[in-house]
Amino acid sequence: MPLKTLKQETANALTLEWILHIKNYRLSLNKDHCVGCQICTLACPKEAIKLVKHTKIQGQKAKKATVDVDLTKCNFCGICDILCPYGAIKVTVNGEHILSVVEKESFPQLVRDIQVDTSKFPVGDSKCEEACPLNLIHIARLTPDGNVVEDLKAVSRKDRKKLQVKIDVEKERCPCCRVCEYKCPEDVMHIRKFVHGKILIHPEKCPEGCTDCLDVCPITGALYYSDEDKKVHADEMFCVYCGACKAVCPVEEALDLKRTKIVHTPVRSGAWNKALERLASPVEMSKELKAKGSQKAVVSVEKRLGWKSA
Amino acid sequence: MGAEKKIEVEEPRIGVFVCHCGLNIAGVLDIKELLEYSKTLPNVVYVKDNRYTCADPGQEEIRKGIKEHKLNRVIVAACSPRMHEPTFRRTVSDVNLNAFLFEMANIREFSSWCHPSTPQEATEKAKDLIKMAVAKARLLKPLQTIEVPVTNKALVVGGGIAGMNTALDLAEMGFKVYLLEKGESIGGHMAQLDKTFPTLDCSICIEGPKMVDVGRHPNIKIIANADLQSVSGFIGNFKVKIRKNPRFVIAENCTGCGECKEVCPIEYPNEWDMNLGVRKAISVPFDQAVPLVYTINKDYCIECFKCVDACGARQAINFEQQPEEIELDVGAIVVATGYDVYMPYDNPLLGYGKYANVITSLEFERLILAAGPTGGKVVRASDGHKPHSVAFIQCVGSRDKNKYPYCSNFCCMYTLKHVVQLKEKYKQDVEIYVFYMDMRSNFKGYEEFYDRAREAGVNFVRGRVSKILEVPETKNLLISAEDSLLGQPIEIEAEMVVLATAAIPKKGADEIARILNVTRGADGFFMESHPKLKPIDAPTDGVFFAGACQGLKDIPYSVSQGSGAASRAATVLSKPKWKIEPIVSVIDPAKCRNVNSKCGICAERCPYGSIKVEEKKAAEVITAMCHGCGTCVAECPADAITQMHFTDAQIFAQIRAALETNPQDKILAFLCNWCSYAGADLAGTSRFEYPPIIRPIRVMCSGRVDRDFILEALRLGAGMVLVGACHLPYDCHYISGNWKMKARMDALAPMLQKLGLSPERFRVEYVSAAEGVRFAELIREMTAQLNALGKDKIKMENEKLRPILENMLKRKEKK
Repeated sequence: MPLKTLKQETANALTLEWILHIKNYRLSLNKDHCVGCQICTLACPKEAIKLVKHTKIQGQKAKKATVDVDLTKCNFCGICDILCPYGAIKVTVNGEHILSVVEKESFPQLVRDIQVDTSKFPVGDSKCEEACPLNLIHIARLTPDGNVVEDLKAVSRKDRKKLQVKIDVEKERCPCCRVCEYKCPEDVMHIRKFVHGKILIHPEKCPEGCTDCLDVCPITGALYYSDEDKKVHADEMFCVYCGACKAVCPVEEALDLKRTKIVHTPVRSGAWNKALERLASPVEMSKELKAKGSQKAVVSVEKRLGWKSA
Repeated sequence: MGAEKKIEVEEPRIGVFVCHCGLNIAGVLDIKELLEYSKTLPNVVYVKDNRYTCADPGQEEIRKGIKEHKLNRVIVAACSPRMHEPTFRRTVSDVNLNAFLFEMANIREFSSWCHPSTPQEATEKAKDLIKMAVAKARLLKPLQTIEVPVTNKALVVGGGIAGMNTALDLAEMGFKVYLLEKGESIGGHMAQLDKTFPTLDCSICIEGPKMVDVGRHPNIKIIANADLQSVSGFIGNFKVKIRKNPRFVIAENCTGCGECKEVCPIEYPNEWDMNLGVRKAISVPFDQAVPLVYTINKDYCIECFKCVDACGARQAINFEQQPEEIELDVGAIVVATGYDVYMPYDNPLLGYGKYANVITSLEFERLILAAGPTGGKVVRASDGHKPHSVAFIQCVGSRDKNKYPYCSNFCCMYTLKHVVQLKEKYKQDVEIYVFYMDMRSNFKGYEEFYDRAREAGVNFVRGRVSKILEVPETKNLLISAEDSLLGQPIEIEAEMVVLATAAIPKKGADEIARILNVTRGADGFFMESHPKLKPIDAPTDGVFFAGACQGLKDIPYSVSQGSGAASRAATVLSKPKWKIEPIVSVIDPAKCRNVNSKCGICAERCPYGSIKVEEKKAAEVITAMCHGCGTCVAECPADAITQMHFTDAQIFAQIRAALETNPQDKILAFLCNWCSYAGADLAGTSRFEYPPIIRPIRVMCSGRVDRDFILEALRLGAGMVLVGACHLPYDCHYISGNWKMKARMDALAPMLQKLGLSPERFRVEYVSAAEGVRFAELIREMTAQLNALGKDKIKMENEKLRPILENMLKRKEKK
């Protein structure tokens, strides 16, 4: 019985659909928001998502990898939606963004710990807004009667003190890089990363003058080019360990990227264990299981992988 | 030359009985001439004609002839041996003549029916056929039938309404039945339906209890979610291999409570619901499923193991479950694999798949069903609203020369049911149009049901729909058709279109056909042994058909055929022993090469592994395993093997008889019993006329056709030689006899050409039992080629070939 399906691709969106008579399952990928990282391809339980790499054109900047979803494999579970650090994928049922895997507690959600203390915010400042590499922070200044101030310069110094500040962060799309926190002089932003890991660019393997990884890195400052050795270096401070850089690096093993921990809501789920195993490593997964006291699960993983935890 | 020069102890006394078959034979052939001619044949001591030889008086004539004239061989020149050979064998054994001293000359299917406009030539051909039968009869030997034990269990393949009835009936008779179902639950298409015509009773309400009966019957074992892997053996003694696919749920532990389904987060389109609704990754396709065992679909499951938690102490879930191989011994097999529904994606004019509000009838069935995905509301896919006008379009794919030329049998009736249901549900609120070619309502209560639909105020438009277009704003559909009663084109706007699509052979029917060695007709449905008299039997003994797999049927007829198949199977199962024909191979140890050197070719070529070869010993045939194809006989380099009833001597005698006069004008054909001979029979039965120049010799399998037969025929100057076989790769009734023949002939043909034979004079052709048209066309084509070559050229080639062929055949005799 062939299923009525749809796959459409435009310059800035990829849409997949199951068209049932009274139900509609849709996966939409915002290509502008997608940075071509590895998270969804690794996390997909059906291995339906593939990263498509693009050859670099001489003299131009490296192009970010793009994502393609196989309609015959996708089951619209929404795990890619949950795990995308940049909020580029949305899975909806009949237009509603309700994820059954979350509702039924069979998959956790990422914990994006973003605290904004507006009380400390200097009214005239906009460093954090400018700092955000993804333009996710929107600052609004309101007069006591609730009007938005368009031009701050027009407001007198005295009146400025009366202004109320509203800071809006597009949380769903925030990868929690902490650039805003670092740039903010007044301790307004408090961000905790949800992906922890390690990144290392081996200078001996990194080709001189190549900036491919830097070209695609969505986080300003996570990677930087050193004029000294003409190589790219990583800054653990801002890196979100998404792996967009690794996808374009032309030299094998020049770039080491490891995820060690992903902060998520509590859950007991085989699907999450597998996702974690692929995103981080079996070691990290068994660490998490141990922390949860799921000794039985650890044993079964060891048996399956023929691997022994320390 | 190749003939055995053994002298029969008893001189043959042959009686020839020529049948008029009413006017079927006598209307074309000159019976008197045939009788006179028969008298002149050697060893013929008695001739007699009968109006109907197969009728009691005709049979009595045979018995009388045997007694009064001391006949020890009997020939009936009448219809095909595939029709009445068993009848006359019984007749002669009634008066203690061995059944294998009987021979038939097929002068009806092979002469009077296929050459009606050339009676004189047809009579000549009939004479030759009788002469060939006499030549063979002179060399016939008495044989004893072989008895094999019968396993009194049955396998039913397919758990739809037909298969369920077969299983229940057999189980009630006391036989153990294995009911194999490919899907997760038995029930078949009937379980998908809302109501049934013409009584409008709820389908699952009447089928559900039957399903439960099947599930509970102590004599029935349901093997669901399983595939048929292979079948070997023969009637009474089949060995069946089944692969049970993993459900990842342990059937014994699953209570069917459904708690796992509640916690499962994943939904996927329910194919059983025509993909209109969804089911969970762990679920049953529908609530009444039998057996009520849940299944995990690993294509969609994300393995969160929430179901394992929910199942808890019952421990019914096992993600590591492996496929299970089951081996069964059964005596009879009933095939009831059903049909599929055509999805008209490939017809751009109707817009199915393109326009949201164009659906198929089976989808409509799921919509109007109270337990369906919409809870019985007929709604449009585009906006979820109830349509105020619905157009039903008949014969989508059916009765269409470019698609499926046959009539799908039940579409007219289910559309009538749909319109009546829709009218009763929405009353005046819905306008209904039915576009039809012919309304076929030809069974009990059906015409009355048609009247009911007419009276309900449905608009019937007689005419074929040419195209459907969507109105982009409203998503309504514009239907263009020609009203053939008014003789003018019409255009109607409807809010929903329902396509009554063709029912088609089940996906995988080709695989089943291959496994069971049964053939399929041109339409893809299984071929019965005889369209009228053996509509339930497969050509393979011990295999029977039930339901739509053999030809489309509605529910009552599927049920009837299911019961019919049960009774046919019981005729086998109820016997402790089954008689098989003794047409097996016998090896002469004095001639077998294997005694002195390593040979074993026969064992290697036997499709059934029924020949045992040990070093320094003559090869031996395991008689119970021999199916009687004769491939080993043709392959044996020392001519040490004989096939009983189809000996080299007998076939050589037939060849010589056929080619005694004017050989250059004749096509000598070796036709395998199951495909080509049956195809030629069908050409006769269907009255497809072709030139009367062919002289056919029946062999059980094309694998039996020895290269010496070809050489002998050409030595005698045959205009053309044809070997007719079952289609490659899988149609051979004896698994691979046709392949062995092909290898043999592929080597022979270039050699003959090198010796100066025109390539068109020796042909290997594949004709199935369903290809009567093709057989007739083939003979027409060959005749044209023969005429194009011309007698002179043929005679010239023959002159050149004869000494070489004589030499080759002589050398053979020296061995």
